[in-house]
Amino acid sequence: MKRFLILTKAMLLMHLRNGSVLFWNFAFPILLMLIYGAVMSQYMDYMTPGVIVLNALSFGLVSSSTMMLEMREKSVLRRLQATPLPAGQLIGSYLLVNILIGVLQSTLIILAGVLLYKIPVTGVGLALAYPMILAGLLAFMALGGIISGVSAKAGTATAVGMTVYFSLMFISDMVFPLDMLPAWLRDIVPYLPAYPVVQLVRSAMLDATLDPKWMTHVLLLAVYGIGAALIAARLFRWEPKA
Amino acid sequence: MSQPIIDAQNLTAAYGSVTALKGVSLTVEKGEIFGLLGPNGAGKTTLLACVEGLHKPKQGQVHVGGINVQADPAATKRQLGIQLQKTALLDDLTVTELVEVYAALYEVYLTADQINTLLERFDLVEKRNTLARRLSGGQQQRLALAVAIANDPQIVLLDEPTSALDPHARRAVWDNIRQLHDEGRTVVLTTHAMEEAEALCGRIAIIDRGQVVACDTPSALIASLQLNSMLKATVELPLDQVRTLPNVSNARYTGQHLEVETARPEVTLTALHELAARSGRSIRDVMLRQPNLEDVFLKLTGRVLSESN
Repeated sequence: MKRFLILTKAMLLMHLRNGSVLFWNFAFPILLMLIYGAVMSQYMDYMTPGVIVLNALSFGLVSSSTMMLEMREKSVLRRLQATPLPAGQLIGSYLLVNILIGVLQSTLIILAGVLLYKIPVTGVGLALAYPMILAGLLAFMALGGIISGVSAKAGTATAVGMTVYFSLMFISDMVFPLDMLPAWLRDIVPYLPAYPVVQLVRSAMLDATLDPKWMTHVLLLAVYGIGAALIAARLFRWEPKA
Repeated sequence: MSQPIIDAQNLTAAYGSVTALKGVSLTVEKGEIFGLLGPNGAGKTTLLACVEGLHKPKQGQVHVGGINVQADPAATKRQLGIQLQKTALLDDLTVTELVEVYAALYEVYLTADQINTLLERFDLVEKRNTLARRLSGGQQQRLALAVAIANDPQIVLLDEPTSALDPHARRAVWDNIRQLHDEGRTVVLTTHAMEEAEALCGRIAIIDRGQVVACDTPSALIASLQLNSMLKATVELPLDQVRTLPNVSNARYTGQHLEVETARPEVTLTALHELAARSGRSIRDVMLRQPNLEDVFLKLTGRVLSESN
């Protein structure tokens, strides 16, 4: 346990000392809130949960695996593999730090929404929203783990992750309502991983209630999250592809 | 004789279709500095990786401290201090944090005093709060050594500990390695620099193309081949003519220098002068040197070590 704590503290320090981690995970989401607020301030109730999930999605698919991929490319993982540290502890501490960063990111967006745009959020709403955000983060990070596993390099993983992210962002009811989509797409979207998170977080935050279809959403997320986590674990590599 | 601390038998290893080791056997005794000398790509790093439990050999077995590496990699790793070819540490941590973290990975928890003592011996105390990525090459290499022994291992495996270092930094690292030896630790290091192998190692295995071509003390390796003295001179003469001079067993050019292997240097030198005079050339910078590991490598492999890299 002591080993795990020391390792986790080291992982946290490494992330917090990294300029691009700080910018993309903390500064950029606030910037996004300011931009949306300037353009469509009257829709910020609808937008804020969307911005939370949008950032959780890009964080899960791309940012959360960047440092792991860099460590793999620079042989840092190989050096860690040469110690008696079990792989599970390494991945566990890495995930823990990234979950913390993801939750902190969402908190900053909520704060911006409440303080700048006066979105109506209650304590009950928050208490319901956080578990939903967390579930989304975990599912997205697991999907990001698959992308890292199949990509030879960090650059490739970023490109693949961003492509998936942009595709999902526009169609998942985050920034554009679903009825703007063509009918055939509207039928598919609810089965993609981002849509259920948006519904769960939005109804929790704005109405302090569970979405009517919350069981379906949660089940779908669990399938995505657990399935992706199992695949990602199988794909995990200590070394870059030769 | 006591049991060897590292015992590799008949190791064959491959990366895909590329064979890296072809039936390598060697033993390392407790407390010695053992060198793996060979050009890049000879298989030195793969051999270390098999000992470290990082690469699974296709055939053969390695025992470290009596433990079968493949059967119990975790127990093997606990006994070892490791420095990989690329320093590859967690760059965004400070020197102190790195030493603390790497020791903790072995479940060794160092006090601030213990960390300080460790940094002192590697001349890193002033840099203790500096991020690893801001250190110079020599400092990073010393930090890699400090990290390698943070868990107080009895066996230390160093892959190219001084490559890419300037002569001053290299000597500092040599002193650190000798100190590890003085403390009774077993050190295995790889190098492609024969002067490093000669300066540090009690015994050497010469590795070429995945095989051990010779293994002994540096002096025994040199003596065993009954090599002649080497006469070195700066002069341009046709090699076929030089080779016909009395007592000359071989001749070659390394850069501008003519190197002549001879059983009787004084006779050969006179003959060389006469040949040069007849050809209208002058000889400069004449030097006589004893055969070294470079010559051993050449004799055994037919290639020049420094040019193979």
